[in-house]
Amino acid sequence: MKLASLEYLEEVKKRSNADPQYLELAKGNNESYTLVLEPEPAQGVHERIVIGFNNVDGKMNEVWIGERPTLFTLSAPYGVWVDILRGKMGATKAITMRKLKTQGPFLQLLQGANRIIRWVEILTTIPTEFEGNYAQYNLPGK
Amino acid sequence: MKAVVVRGIQQFEVADVPMPEPAAGEVLIRVGYCGICGSDMEAYHTGMYAPGLIVGHEFAGVIAQVGPDVADWRPGDRVVVNDAVPCGECRPCRDGRLDACESLYMIGVTHDGAMAEYCVAPVRGLHRLPDGVGLRRGALVEPLSVALHGVHRSRLKPGDRALVMGAGPIGLLTLQCALVAGARMVAVTEVDPTRAALAQKLGAAVVLDPTRDNVVVNLSALTDGQGPDVIYVCTGAPQPYRDAISLVRKGGQIFVLGLCVEPVEADFMSVAMGDLCIEGSLAGRAQFAAAIDFVAQGRVDVESLITHEIALDDAVEKGFKLLDTPNSGAVKVLVRIGGELTADR
Ligand SMILES: [Zn+2]
Ligand SMILES: [Zn+2]
Repeated sequence: MKLASLEYLEEVKKRSNADPQYLELAKGNNESYTLVLEPEPAQGVHERIVIGFNNVDGKMNEVWIGERPTLFTLSAPYGVWVDILRGKMGATKAITMRKLKTQGPFLQLLQGANRIIRWVEILTTIPTEFEGNYAQYNLPGK
Repeated sequence: MKAVVVRGIQQFEVADVPMPEPAAGEVLIRVGYCGICGSDMEAYHTGMYAPGLIVGHEFAGVIAQVGPDVADWRPGDRVVVNDAVPCGECRPCRDGRLDACESLYMIGVTHDGAMAEYCVAPVRGLHRLPDGVGLRRGALVEPLSVALHGVHRSRLKPGDRALVMGAGPIGLLTLQCALVAGARMVAVTEVDPTRAALAQKLGAAVVLDPTRDNVVVNLSALTDGQGPDVIYVCTGAPQPYRDAISLVRKGGQIFVLGLCVEPVEADFMSVAMGDLCIEGSLAGRAQFAAAIDFVAQGRVDVESLITHEIALDDAVEKGFKLLDTPNSGAVKVLVRIGGELTADR
């Protein structure tokens, strides 16, 4: 399924909420997130994609497409997100190196590093189609 | 004479005080109008002004009497007063860095101010008001000079995109100055609906409410995903200072014009990684004359900022207390003291 489509987000929610390891790490988490995938016309990615979700006591609660005010907003060019999902760049490294631009309480975000790492591991199990030139890195899923 | 005097924290009082006398190099001014500034509000809350001080530094009036050795000024001259006069003698002053003066003479801060029937001012701070500018608009020259000085000092270049955080008087004036300076677009963040509407009217490309809008996403869409070139922080609340660091574009500038009394915890690694510049400025001394011209030429609308005009007797009850009320719709509250005093041509 297409990265950051609603179908994809619902799948992320389903798999995360069924993962005991993730749920243990996320216990008590009530944060909300916006993720921005910036376009890269040179790579054939023309549209800005904005998605969001919130957690209620550690479970992914609502997922959406579009803009809402959230505690955190993480933004990066589309290719950075692809690199993270391909395992080419660690998510927390991307955050600390400011490859992902972060708006929101930074320290609080880093304190959730283990949760985020597990979450990205879950994401990489989803069969995923990327846009433009990044289609060559599509994930088969497992 | 009557004056607004500091007694303590949240204790300002309209009191009877002795008439001041102009010393050598000073004039006595009969005050027409005096505005209540955000910094006066901070002082009202935090007690940063000394007890006994007469407040007020945004004002215009007419010279009533000149002190000994004053040659170039006459009673009847209509004036505005630069409220931050460098001493001319300290090290920074002698090096020509007048804005870094170690003992600025600040009317209404270090010396008695103009929320009073009369005040004294050093002639070094006087500027003549042109005939076409009434004392009412004249009272807004000082805050305009602050905004203009900020934009002048910032790295903004024609064609740049800017964000103004906070649409209080300084924010609204900074918005207009940035547009006059050639900004391609200026976005504004503001929660208060009255101030947001005013920002829209005065030329903001968009006014974002952080409680309703995702500011990152909206700015990203307006700036090709890069963020604004310059962000002017014009508020006393701490959150925008934190946010500015992640909103500004790489290599961009955050220019601080607001007074946030409490320390702000912020992500300084992003300052290094983003090659950012953070700078600030206080008073508009160097741009005072230009600010007068901008008002006279009508290139900056100061009139729209004036939401309330009140009497000196009501300065505390209907002025400071009004500005202290959330969503009061107040932007600039002017205290009318002598009024226009002469016909406003
Ligand atoms: Zn002021
Ligand atoms: Zn000095």
